[in-house]
Amino acid sequence: MDAAANAEKIAVSGFRHFFDTEDGPVQATGVVDLKIRAGEFVTLVGPSGCGKTTLLKAMAGFIRPTEGTIHCDGKLVTKPGRERGVVFQELAILPWRTVRRNIGHGLEIAGVPKVEREEKVTRLIDLIGLGGFEDRYPHELSGGMRQRVAVARTWAADPDVILMDEPFAAVDAMTRLTLQEELGRLCVATRKTVFFITHSVDEAVFLGDRVLVMTRRPGTIKAEIDIPRRAAGGRDWESFTTDVEMQGIAERVLKLVRAERGLTPAEEARAAAGAGA
Amino acid sequence: MSVQAAPIATTSTARRALGRLAWTLVPAAPFVIVTLIWIMATGILNPSKETLPPVTDVLASIKELALSGQLATNVVASLYRLLLGSILGIVTGLIGGVIVGLNRKLAESLNPVVVFFNAISGIVWLPLMITWLGIGNALAVFLIWNTVFFIVFQNAALGVQLVPEVYEQGVRALGGGRWQTMRSVILPGALPYILTGIRTGLGFGWRALIAAELVGAATGLGTMIFDAAEYHRSDIIVAGCLIIGVIAIVMDRWLLLPIERRTVRRWGLVADTEKE
Ligand SMILES: Nc1ncnc2c1ncn2[C@@H]1O[C@H](COP(=O)(O)OP(=O)(O)OP(=O)(O)O)[C@@H](O)[C@H]1O
Ligand SMILES: [Mg+2]
Repeated sequence: MDAAANAEKIAVSGFRHFFDTEDGPVQATGVVDLKIRAGEFVTLVGPSGCGKTTLLKAMAGFIRPTEGTIHCDGKLVTKPGRERGVVFQELAILPWRTVRRNIGHGLEIAGVPKVEREEKVTRLIDLIGLGGFEDRYPHELSGGMRQRVAVARTWAADPDVILMDEPFAAVDAMTRLTLQEELGRLCVATRKTVFFITHSVDEAVFLGDRVLVMTRRPGTIKAEIDIPRRAAGGRDWESFTTDVEMQGIAERVLKLVRAERGLTPAEEARAAAGAGA
Repeated sequence: MSVQAAPIATTSTARRALGRLAWTLVPAAPFVIVTLIWIMATGILNPSKETLPPVTDVLASIKELALSGQLATNVVASLYRLLLGSILGIVTGLIGGVIVGLNRKLAESLNPVVVFFNAISGIVWLPLMITWLGIGNALAVFLIWNTVFFIVFQNAALGVQLVPEVYEQGVRALGGGRWQTMRSVILPGALPYILTGIRTGLGFGWRALIAAELVGAATGLGTMIFDAAEYHRSDIIVAGCLIIGVIAIVMDRWLLLPIERRTVRRWGLVADTEKE
């Protein structure tokens, strides 16, 4: 690996965040330290409400940390910038723009000439399987289609770093597999640095070079699992599901995540019964 | 599409067309009903013409007003004031509303003065303004502006405040600056409220117009109605009201509704009953 690839892209140090609310401050995260190398694909799993989105929005520059600092390329992050693309949990694609104009928005802002813009947008629309829906408005699409538009919009703007917050949660299982493979392949090919939040352990292990597991709120990173690098472009579900090593890692991550999730009453009862027997 | 699907499609298209026709006629029903009651009331109760003129008298006086050219003069005078006052009100209300909507602190500090002047907006100014501005266009335009301004202002401010923040964040993460978020997020996002403000504002603008003309103008539909009252010509009074109502419907249907259809309804921001 060359020096540029090893360079530290994002550095989160001593990050901790409290939200000011009517009832006083609410602690959203514990202390988080995190370094992401250029070209690295880092995935984050953790229980709902543990502070994943808060961390991502701080990295994006929308939340000013209560404590600690976030650097990108050695510069302190104080505001959003086009070098850090974001796919929001709420998607944030604009209802008053068609699929085509949403995806081309970043290029439009950057002043890319129309012909070039359209070419790139058309290619992306084909890639995400939305051909024929170019001139539809978001409310005419399914949830999964909207998520694909949101990912394509961020991708089209060609940022160095992509921060994604559960981008495939609403996509149907079949399409999801394809999108994950495609994303993995493209990220390796274009050497994007990716920070990817998900609730799916399989997704985290499949896509990540490194998986982070967060504790429950206020979340801290309780484990980091390095995923052995596959050959460039070699991420596909078939080999993943038959790879014993990968399945072992996925199981380990799952255990770590489950330990953080509060037990449901039924599970608690079962656990108690099991202890008694 | 397969060939077999065609007949089914035709039936449902025909039925849908029929349904659509029915729905375009439904809005006329209340008018028809009221007219029938009116005809029956004059026929059965036989009230004096001053209390309730028969439909035929009103139609005759509309024709007479139209032929004499009085109708055109009055309509033009009224519309001129209404449009001038409304456009001023919409433009200033929009600018003010958007600025205040974007700035929570400013909104809070301006709140008392807005509540104060909103409570006395529109025709409340009439007695004072008639001595300041005299009788004529200026008086009517001021009253209309003042009425429309507050309605548009408050709706625009609310609309801007209610635009989900994440839309703005999305555009900023794409590299968009202040102007970009303004143009591609804030304004379209606030449009449902802005349009509501304009529609409501125009409705109230009519009231301000007529009030101003009742006392402070030499021409106009309000003046026409007021003069008719002095001569006990209730047929002209009713005719004037009908004309005002019809113009209001025409403006709403052919000016505002199409804008709404092409924007906020097309974008799925408000429920659209005509969705396929
Ligand atoms: N704007 C806010 N004001 C107050 N509290 C907030 C705000 N945003 C988040 N929180 C709180 O901070 C905590 C962390 O929220 P966050 O959205 O980061 O969770 P998350 O890990 O992304 O959860 P999920 O997986 O459900 O998306 C939660 O307890 C939430 O209630
Ligand atoms: Mg979240």
